[in-house]
Amino acid sequence: MSNESALFAVRGISKRYGHVQALAEVDFEIDRREVVGLLGDNGAGKSTLVKIISGIESPDSGAFQKDGRPVTVRTRKDSERLGIETIYQDAALVGSASIMRNFFAGRELTNSFGLLRLGRMNEIAMEVLEGTIRIAGIASPDLLVEALSGGQRQAVAIARAVYFKTEMLVLDEPTSALSVRETEKVLAHVTQLKEEGISSVFISHNLYHAYNVCDRFVILSRGRVVRNVRKGETSIKELTDVIVMH
Amino acid sequence: MTILEDKPSKSAVGARRVGVAAWRRLSRQPAANVVIVFVMFQLVVIAAALAFPEDFRYLSPTNIALLFRAIPVLGIMALGVGMLMISGEFDLSVGSVFTLTSYTMAILYSAGWPLSLAVAMTLGLGALLGAINGIITVKTAIPSFITTLGSMLVVRGIVRWVSEGQSASFLPGRLFEQLLVGSIYGVQAQILWFAGLAAVAGVLLHHTRLGNHIYLVGGNLNAAVAVGVNANRVKVAAFVLSALGATIAGILSTTRVSTVTASQGVGFELKAIAICVIGGLFLTGGRGTVLGIVVGAFLMYTVEDVLLLLRAPGFYLEMFIGAILVGAVIMNTWVAKRGA
Repeated sequence: MSNESALFAVRGISKRYGHVQALAEVDFEIDRREVVGLLGDNGAGKSTLVKIISGIESPDSGAFQKDGRPVTVRTRKDSERLGIETIYQDAALVGSASIMRNFFAGRELTNSFGLLRLGRMNEIAMEVLEGTIRIAGIASPDLLVEALSGGQRQAVAIARAVYFKTEMLVLDEPTSALSVRETEKVLAHVTQLKEEGISSVFISHNLYHAYNVCDRFVILSRGRVVRNVRKGETSIKELTDVIVMH
Repeated sequence: MTILEDKPSKSAVGARRVGVAAWRRLSRQPAANVVIVFVMFQLVVIAAALAFPEDFRYLSPTNIALLFRAIPVLGIMALGVGMLMISGEFDLSVGSVFTLTSYTMAILYSAGWPLSLAVAMTLGLGALLGAINGIITVKTAIPSFITTLGSMLVVRGIVRWVSEGQSASFLPGRLFEQLLVGSIYGVQAQILWFAGLAAVAGVLLHHTRLGNHIYLVGGNLNAAVAVGVNANRVKVAAFVLSALGATIAGILSTTRVSTVTASQGVGFELKAIAICVIGGLFLTGGRGTVLGIVVGAFLMYTVEDVLLLLRAPGFYLEMFIGAILVGAVIMNTWVAKRGA
């Protein structure tokens, strides 16, 4: 399934922590308008791969490609520049700060005196939340994030990714802390974003959630890719068997 | 497309509900409760002062002048300490920094340095001490409680060594005194400095990128790092601000009393933290406003002042401040929970 013009690819990624070989010669790629499920049991290496793709950890060896061209990803800023945005379980939001301040965290707009453009940032945050992501029930961008439900928090993180021209979302266990109803909404966001041209890597324990939204599945086991299969060519039963067997 | 909505609101929203909603909105404002308590306290005290102008001299010009001279010193220190607390760290060394920088200014000026240079060196020393606290804390990843407890003792030791137990006098001349601690159209200059510095702190904290990062780092360090905030740099900057607050407070205080003694500033760190906590800051960081710190300083001093005017015995003061402190934290925690 090798594809020279994949949106983003990693080749031959290895990473060792002391005696533990977390990843061994892992190839992974994702196309435009594709949702790839990254599956595997605990300790399979999913989190390590996510950290490497996000630039939070560096691999011991291996290469990165964007649109077929070699690139380097060593820091969070590198991955940000490539249009990669990672959304964590806890959505990486600051509960005691407002929605707007989270939305623009680390990427604040300032005027020529170096002062924050609070009004403009409030406008943009509300525009994106109401217009693009269509979240209701958020009355004001001044609300503290800790006042939001788990699903609304994920939506804020997704809205942030959409506004900052993300090309690829990495969703690390996005549904693990959510109610059934909220999970449905987050899954729907992922599908909507795909239609708008944003690819996603969807990391999950929950095969049913992944099966709903993903076009392709990559299964890791003990740091190796053990299966790479399109949705049409497999079933939940088979995916479960692969994860359990390895 | 999908909609993440709250539960549909009940249609029967009476006027009372609206009032309750407005009240809840107000009570969620970070500094609201301390402001409400302060205003209520002032109303009672001012009413009493108007009713018994002879026996309770709260509104006498002497008393007001006394308050306006007393509040700014710890208030300015609390501004710095508060910004650091919002970033999630502590500074127990501000009392010692206050004294050491005061000595430095007095000694340099007595040794014949130009006043402006002596003051600049003093500010530089303050910033340096803050940077050292900050760098040790972030590089070794130890709690700042420990770092600054250590530097509190070390700096206090340096004070005793430098001063040799002697006080130093500081007589910078009329213009400097007039500017810092004189009175401008009958208003104490200190209170104007406090207002000005509070405004600067407010702009810095609420309207700049650094200020935003101070809140983010204090609120959720991992999230701040994940969005690319350089948390270590932000924290070191906050330590520098904290030490600068103490230094400026020292300059004002020394100019007013014209002398520095080695025991000055002892215990100020805890009072500054108390002011911040009364003003709605959390020891865990991420929360608080400059308005809260300012009102916290006013509240603490006016309560103390009222007790003095009522000729309460000395131990009452500490008991009351202690009780206010605990009461304020209980109230702030409760409000934060309701806001969430």
